Amino acid sequence: MTSQQVIVTEDLTKTYSANDVPVYALRGINLTIAAGEFTAIVGPSGSGKTTFLNIISGLDQPTEGKVWLSKELISNMNGRQLSDFRRDNIGFIFQAYNLIPVLTVGENIEYIMLLQGIPKIERHQRVVDILEVVGLAGYIDRKPPQLSGGQQQRVAIARAMVSQPTIILADEPTANLDSKTGSELLEMMYQLNKKTGMTFVFSTHDQAVMDRAQRLITLKDGLIDSDNMQE
Amino acid sequence: MWWILVKLAWRNLFRNTRRTFIAGTAIGIGLAALIFVDALWIGMEENMIKIATSSFLGGGQIHQEGFRKTQEIERTINQHHQVMSNLKQEEIVARFTPRTFAFGMITSPAHVIAAALVGVDPVTEKYLSHVDEMITEGTYFEGDNERNIVIGSKMAEVLEVEIGDRVVATVSQAKTGDLAQEMFRVSGIFHFHNHEMNRGMAFMRLGKSQQILGLKDDIHQIAIKFTDVKYGQNKLLPFWRKYSKYGNEAVSWTEILPELETIFEWTNISKVLLGFVFFIIVVFGIINTLFMSLYERMFEFGVLRAVGTRPSRMAQLILFEAGSLGVLSIGIGIILGIITTYICSKTGIDYTGIEVAGVTIQELIYPVMVIDQFIFYPFWVLVFTTITGLYPAWYAARMSPAKAMRRAG
Ligand SMILES: Nc1ncnc2c1ncn2[C@@H]1O[C@H](COP(=O)(O)OP(=O)(O)OP(=O)(O)O)[C@@H](O)[C@H]1O
Ligand SMILES: [Mg+2]
Repeated sequence: MTSQQVIVTEDLTKTYSANDVPVYALRGINLTIAAGEFTAIVGPSGSGKTTFLNIISGLDQPTEGKVWLSKELISNMNGRQLSDFRRDNIGFIFQAYNLIPVLTVGENIEYIMLLQGIPKIERHQRVVDILEVVGLAGYIDRKPPQLSGGQQQRVAIARAMVSQPTIILADEPTANLDSKTGSELLEMMYQLNKKTGMTFVFSTHDQAVMDRAQRLITLKDGLIDSDNMQE
Repeated sequence: MWWILVKLAWRNLFRNTRRTFIAGTAIGIGLAALIFVDALWIGMEENMIKIATSSFLGGGQIHQEGFRKTQEIERTINQHHQVMSNLKQEEIVARFTPRTFAFGMITSPAHVIAAALVGVDPVTEKYLSHVDEMITEGTYFEGDNERNIVIGSKMAEVLEVEIGDRVVATVSQAKTGDLAQEMFRVSGIFHFHNHEMNRGMAFMRLGKSQQILGLKDDIHQIAIKFTDVKYGQNKLLPFWRKYSKYGNEAVSWTEILPELETIFEWTNISKVLLGFVFFIIVVFGIINTLFMSLYERMFEFGVLRAVGTRPSRMAQLILFEAGSLGVLSIGIGIILGIITTYICSKTGIDYTGIEVAGVTIQELIYPVMVIDQFIFYPFWVLVFTTITGLYPAWYAARMSPAKAMRRAG
């Protein structure tokens, strides 16, 4: 494994049991993602995209197989170690409801830095700066329900990036947005990827989003169906 | 760090205002009830102590050692002149009065009845007992007729006598045991809220009783009224030891009337029971509210966990929510408690006529608010609510973030 490899999985399987019937969500995924990649995971519904993202981010445990993130074997970590690992290394963007509605935009972004114990002055400065980057300067004291879907996702991006993680994982970040807003959001993510060198991995159903991806991994029935670099 | 969790917890509480207020009010009412009942018990205790001690007993009494048990006429207070002059110097003693006690018979032309014959000093006795206020017919030792006797209403009925009628008292004299008889004239009839006193008690002047009992100027009992009723309840008061000398014993009313003390112990048990019922309200209120909001906010919990909140912090968040609900409930409870207790402490509560341990409640009961009620009970509400939050907290800490988000999605 070279220093370039940020995400490495080995024979990753995940079997759920729904009413005693086993569901093979992942059936042996071997994958390496390098630093700075802008990768899309695609595939039909139920193909295992969410499951895959959850496992490589330590939100869920694999049934078998191993996951290394930034050279650390996370598939063996306990709940607390995983929490701290996620806090320091991974930024998350979900499909919707990313933000805690009772916290202001500023507090939502600040939260992770509070977990990290970053001093107040620095926290504030970083919140202001990142809101500027995502084009929401001046929205610091708004509550999430007062924002549009696109704005909320931009706050989610800000939150994901503010702690400067190595990896940003996004599960269908544009699914709840209209195509124009979705494209804008993706463009922003792409620019940030180029600028910061953070690794972006996201799942999507959206053709426009797929087209923008640098690398396209297609899952089918819990297996990698295709894996292409595109231009 | 914990500050953001407190903020989060407090704001979460007001997302479903209705549910929060229902739970908060339920717990608040429970707290108010605890405060009110406590205040009521204090009022009731004060009332009962007042009745018990002020109608006849006094806050404390002095006798010769052994007199209370044997009731022997010979057992008069030793050095009673010295004792009484000492009592005059005591700051905590408001009043005291000497008495003689003897069992004897009272005979009328119609009947004969066994009676406790009490010799009293009418002037000082007034401050100790309510006999003078309870006279229903005739008067309470007016003038200085030595042969006046004041008897209970029931006794008058049994003897078939009225004011001015003659009765004969028969007693056995000290030392010799000879029977002595003396004629009296019924000058007053009293009616207490106590059967036994109405039937079996007769009062005469101290000098006369000493004479017929052959006591010279000796007495059997000194009843004491303290400047504060609390002294009579304090068994550790140095006063008791100080006056338990010369072969005498000084005892508080709690020893003379232990039944009443027992009642007060029962009130404590009933408080614990009420507290237990209350605890159940709290448990249901809190568990229900926390779990409902937990289920509603599954995805949010998932997000918080995803971005790196440790399981223990999730538990903390839930405990803070439980605590916040506790604080809110305490606020509601204290307000309700103050309002109800205050109103009732002005209007009084009518329990008159109800008899407890031989003491009949004669006055309205006024609940008494004390600061303890607003510290002690709220403190326990906070402890209870937080303890109850432990289960939902444990549940939230254990939750897998992936599952939480899928279940919500
Ligand atoms: N907790 C679970 N219990 C049982 N089965 C599950 C669970 N989570 C996922 N599955 C199943 O695993 C398979 C993969 O699910 P997953 O959510 O990863 O698919 P996906 O590619 O993200 O689909 P979509 O595009 O609809 O989001 C599906 O068949 C799903 O029903
Ligand atoms: Mg999915």
